[in-house]
Amino acid sequence: MEFIFNISEKINPLQSIVVMAAAILISSFFGLSKKRSVKRFIIAVAAVSLLSAFYINIHIFIHLGSLSNDLLAFGTLQVIEVGIIIFSALNILFFVSVYEVNRDHFIKILILLLFSAICAVFTVIADNFILMFTGMTIFVLTAFQLVTGLNSDISASGNYAIRFFLRPVLTLILLFFGFSLFYGAAGLEGFSQILENESVSNPLVMIGLVVFGAAVYIYFFLFPFQNPYMGLLKRSNASSNAVIWFLYFPVGFFVFFKFSELFSFFIEKGSLYVSIILIALTFICMFAGNLGASKTASVRRIISFLFLYFIGIFLLNISMFSAGIISSLSMRWLNIANVFLLTFSFIPVYVIFSRIEKLTGSDSISAIRGLGRSNVYLSINLIIIFLSWSVTALYVLPFRKYFTGGVDISAMGAIGMTLLALISVTFIFLMVNIFRVVTKFFKRPSEGTAEKIIFHKFYYVYITFFTLAILIVVVKCLMEISGIDIGIMDFNITGFVF
Amino acid sequence: MNFQLIIYFNLLLFLLGIFGIFYSRNIITMFVSYQFIIISAIINFLSFSNLLYMHSLWAEVFIISGVISIYFLMFCIVYYIYSKLNLLDKKVFYENYRLFRIITSDWWGEDNR
Repeated sequence: MEFIFNISEKINPLQSIVVMAAAILISSFFGLSKKRSVKRFIIAVAAVSLLSAFYINIHIFIHLGSLSNDLLAFGTLQVIEVGIIIFSALNILFFVSVYEVNRDHFIKILILLLFSAICAVFTVIADNFILMFTGMTIFVLTAFQLVTGLNSDISASGNYAIRFFLRPVLTLILLFFGFSLFYGAAGLEGFSQILENESVSNPLVMIGLVVFGAAVYIYFFLFPFQNPYMGLLKRSNASSNAVIWFLYFPVGFFVFFKFSELFSFFIEKGSLYVSIILIALTFICMFAGNLGASKTASVRRIISFLFLYFIGIFLLNISMFSAGIISSLSMRWLNIANVFLLTFSFIPVYVIFSRIEKLTGSDSISAIRGLGRSNVYLSINLIIIFLSWSVTALYVLPFRKYFTGGVDISAMGAIGMTLLALISVTFIFLMVNIFRVVTKFFKRPSEGTAEKIIFHKFYYVYITFFTLAILIVVVKCLMEISGIDIGIMDFNITGFVF
Repeated sequence: MNFQLIIYFNLLLFLLGIFGIFYSRNIITMFVSYQFIIISAIINFLSFSNLLYMHSLWAEVFIISGVISIYFLMFCIVYYIYSKLNLLDKKVFYENYRLFRIITSDWWGEDNR
C-alpha cells in the first residue's frame, strides 16, 4: 500500500493525466472494432476516466496542496483550469457519442479526444517553456486531427480546416520566437522566473510580450481576422464545432493567463497609447460580434459571432485594467469568470440548437420557431441561460461611484467615458440579439417543423444541470450584493471581482 | 563573431517572414515565410546560448523539441492537403490563398460562398 502511495505522491499532479492515459490504453485495444457494444463500452471507459480525472484533480490539490518545480506549477488557478478542460472534454464526449457513434473510426476519435485533453492539461500545468510549447503544439496537432477526422465526410470543410489551423501554427511559431527573446533577456526558462528576475524591464522581454500579444490575438481569430473561423464553423459538423469552442479556445485563454501577470506588469507602466489601442480592439470585437449576430439568420453564425463577442470581454477586462478602473487581481478573476460563463452557457445552448438543426435539417433561425410553444420546459431553461449573459451589465459597477455623488463625473476621464459607452452600447446590442432569438421561440412554427423537434429525456436532465448551476451562482451573487449571508459557502464571488 | 550583427540579421529574417506571410499568395510561399521565423528563433536561441549562457543545454533541448513538434504539425497539414483535398481546392491553395483575408460576409449577412 505504501508503494502505491509513494507512486501516487511522485506523479502528483499528473494523476488526472495518468487516468486518461489508462483509458487511451484500454481503448487502443479496441481501436478497429465497429461493434456497437464495444463502442458503448469505450464511451463508458472514456466517461469514467474523465470523471475520475476531474475528481482526482480536485482531490490531490486538497490533500497534497500546490506544487511548483522546474517543469510544473500546480496551484488554485491550475486546478480550476484543468477542471474546466476535463469538464469540456466530458461534454465533447457527449457530442461525439450522440452524433458520431455510427462512424467506423468512432473509437479512434475518442482516443484522439482523450489525447487532446491530456495535451491541454500538460499545457495548463506547465511552468517550463519547453513543456508548455511542446504540449501546446501537440494539442493543436490533436485538435487538427480531431476536427478533420470528424469532418471527413464533409468535403467543403477540409479547405476551411486547413485555413483555420494554419493560424494556430503561426501562433506557435510566434511563441517560439517570443520564447527565444525571453531566453535572451535573462536566460529565462519558465513563467515563474519572469517577474522574479531583475531584467523584467529588458527591451527583449518587451518585444517578446508584443509578439505574444499578436500570437494570442491570431489564435483567437479576433476581428478582423475571423475569416477561417466563420467559414469552418458554418460548414463543419456539430461535434467538430464543439471541439473548437469548448477545447481549442479555453486552452488559448489559459495560455494567455500564464502571461497575464507579465502583461499586467507592463500595462500598469504603459502609456496612454496602449490603453487607446486596447480600447479600439475591444470596441471592434464587441461591436462587430454583436452586429454580425444581428445581421444573419444562421444559428451557427449567430453563436459564432456571440462567441467572438465574449472573447472581446477578455479584451474589455484588459482595457479596464489599463485605464486603472479595475485592479490586476480583478482582471484575472473576471477572465476566469468569463471562461466559466462561456462554457456553462454556450454548451447547453449549442446542444439544443445543434439537435434542432439535426432534426429539422436547417441551420436557419426559423427552425427554432415555435420551440416555446411545443417545448415550454426547454425554452424556459434556454431563456434563463441567455439571461445569464446579462451579467455583462455588472461591468458598469466600477463606474457607479461617479453617479452616486461620491466622485465628480469629470474625474472619469475620456477613456473611462469611452469604456462606459462601449459597455452600455454593446450590452444593448446583446440584449437585442437575445430578444431576437427568444421571440422566435413564441412565434408560430413553420409547417411540419414542430413535429420533428423531439428531445430524448437525457437532454432535459443535461440542460437542467446547467440551468441549476447558473441559477445557484446568480442567487449567490444577488445575496452577496444585498448583504445576506446564510453561511453555506465561504467563497465570496462578487468580492473577488469588484 | 559580432553579437550585434547576429541580432540585426535575425531581426531581418523575422521581418522577412512577417512580410512574406502578409504578401504571399500561395501556401508554399507562406510555409517558406514560416520557416524564416523559425530559423530566426533558432539563431536567437543558439546565439544567446553560445555567447551569453555558456552553451546552455536547455536551449538546445528546446530547439530540438520545439522544431520537431512544429514541423510535425506542419507536415500533418501538408499531408492533409495532398491526400484529402480535391484538385480545385488544391488549386486555390497554390494560386489564390491569403492567410489574412477580409470578406464582407465575415462581418455581416450570410455566408453563401
